[in-house]
Amino acid sequence: MSIQWVEQVLQLTVQMGTVYLLASLGEIYAERSGVLNLGLEGMMIMGAATSFIFSIAYGHLPAIFIAAVVGALMGFILSILAVDMKLNQVIVGLALTLLGIGLSGFFTFPEIRKNILLKLNPSLPEEMLLTQQAEKLPEIPIPLFSNIPILGKMLFSHNVLVYFSLIFSILMWFILFKTRIGLTIRSVGENPSMADSLGVNVYMVRRATTIISGAFASLAGAYFFIGFHPFWREGVTAGRGFIALALVILATWSPLRAILGAYLFGGVETFQYRLQLFGLGAQSPYFLAMLPYIMTIITLIIISTESIKKKIGAPASLGIPYSREE
Amino acid sequence: MAKTSRIPYNIKIQKRLYYSRKLSILTTFSAIIIAFGVAGLFFTIIGLNPLEVYSYIGGVFASPTLLLESFKRAIPIGLAALGLSIAFKMNFWNIGAEGQMYMGMLASTGIVLLHVYYGLIPDYLVLSLMILAAFLTGGLWCCLPAFLKAKMKVNEILTTLMMNYVAMYLVDFLIYGPWRDPKGYGFPLSVPFPEYSKLTVMFGEFAYGGLLLLCLTAVIVFIILRYTKLGFELKIVGENIEIARNAGINLSKVVTVGGFIAGGIAGIGGLTIVSGIIGRLRPRASPGYGYTAIIVVLLSALNPWLIIPVSIFFGGLFVAGDILQATLRIPGAAVEMYQALIFLFIVIGEFMKRYKITITRGVVE
Repeated sequence: MSIQWVEQVLQLTVQMGTVYLLASLGEIYAERSGVLNLGLEGMMIMGAATSFIFSIAYGHLPAIFIAAVVGALMGFILSILAVDMKLNQVIVGLALTLLGIGLSGFFTFPEIRKNILLKLNPSLPEEMLLTQQAEKLPEIPIPLFSNIPILGKMLFSHNVLVYFSLIFSILMWFILFKTRIGLTIRSVGENPSMADSLGVNVYMVRRATTIISGAFASLAGAYFFIGFHPFWREGVTAGRGFIALALVILATWSPLRAILGAYLFGGVETFQYRLQLFGLGAQSPYFLAMLPYIMTIITLIIISTESIKKKIGAPASLGIPYSREE
Repeated sequence: MAKTSRIPYNIKIQKRLYYSRKLSILTTFSAIIIAFGVAGLFFTIIGLNPLEVYSYIGGVFASPTLLLESFKRAIPIGLAALGLSIAFKMNFWNIGAEGQMYMGMLASTGIVLLHVYYGLIPDYLVLSLMILAAFLTGGLWCCLPAFLKAKMKVNEILTTLMMNYVAMYLVDFLIYGPWRDPKGYGFPLSVPFPEYSKLTVMFGEFAYGGLLLLCLTAVIVFIILRYTKLGFELKIVGENIEIARNAGINLSKVVTVGGFIAGGIAGIGGLTIVSGIIGRLRPRASPGYGYTAIIVVLLSALNPWLIIPVSIFFGGLFVAGDILQATLRIPGAAVEMYQALIFLFIVIGEFMKRYKITITRGVVE
């Protein structure tokens, strides 16, 4: 095990973890305001599919932007259903997840994708129309810092979305816990009728956070696809949106702790790939593939034990639609 | 002209005190039709004639052979949905029917292999043991998250869902590894099931035997929910957990047993896939029947009788999906998309049922 190997594993850990980090950042805001966005997986896979198609047609930056817009749109739909129509948030979220999986599979089917790509950009060469992979986001190592042994590779040689996710988790932590806006969001999630009586527009706050969570989930999908694993197959996100949901609980609804949790899960997944390379489980990669899911279950069990549960409090009105008594 | 446009629209949303059965049926059917419309929009975007697509889908229910095929697909879906109806009745959000089905497939294949490889079980016992094993394994797979929820309040949505992936990879491991048919030219398939281990033994045609099994299960679920103590307790736990606790109901016992039965029925649904539809085990044998079952059970409002026709409809959609893929080169995901749209509009229909919307125009005094 050379230094290079350690560096590589740490770098991959951060890169894998960023998928979870981005998805959980938005979800933390939604849940803090009392909305459970169970459509995370659907929004994530829509983000991946959108970034796939648009990065081929227009390149990386427009693809990332459009993916975020698509996610925000799905978040908006969720906000109408869950906040305004006050429907059961579990059912609504599941519906959006299934919709995202269906739509992404539909629009990325080779022949349909070819039609869409031709409409978006008629000058694309033939081989681009049927390719199953996209160009990966380039890594931008930060000069000087990236030469630090071990830490350099781990923190300072990534693509732009990884930096973005780190900056945003600090920023979003600051907003959530140190500013008035954050206080408003948290009060809406703890005691909406109190917040309402103090003049806070509960519906507006919840709509906004739900849209933010959609945009971030979709961004996570886009990052996963063009930033980490640019080879398309149906259902490419494979339940990672749900893992991010578990991560939000593990992070006790704090964007800063989400960084640690995300890299923990990223580490487990990297570890699994590395073990496969070592020949461990070469005969049966399937057991190793179970690892992230089993890990999630174990995490959920641990954070549900009485002693830990006392320390972490879920937002009191999480999942409960608010309606004003008139 | 400018003046008339100033007159505001007033949208008034009132809670309905009750809704009629007629309204309920009306919203359900309009949801399906609106979903058709929106899906048609997507088909038009990609340059297909939606009417052509619909005629293929409608054709499934008009042709006897295709209808029979839809019945076959409906059987695993319906069984999983029946299991879910018990789980959802007690507010246990079991998203894991898919995994429980895979465990059912795995258990029934295990029994067949015990018989074929080691000759351990006499011919006439194989099928009944398979059903038993599928029920137990599927049940245990659901029992674990149910127990965790009851004892420690572990979020069951996430645990059941994670266990789907674990079950799927477990089947992958076995079928790419020790369970691969040695005479199968290296394909990831189990040995073909012998005739007496298939559900065709009853009527010579899986659809009939399977439908009988489905109806029988519906009767059993109906009886459990309506006439047994467990069913009564399930309902109270689902409606109000505080009342259940005060009434001295043993919460963890009810949730665990309910979860066990729910998963067990889904496990038998898995058995009908390998021993009815395919006749052997292969990886990814279920094209998401377990997720479709969630839509089916919510669409039928947890009513075991309604589950049967609704799953036949969704079974037909799967058949239509295969045909569309073969003829119009539309991806199988079109069916998933269409199902999800139906689901979405059914959910919105729930809002229409609960609230009355009146739009008037004019100034409110």
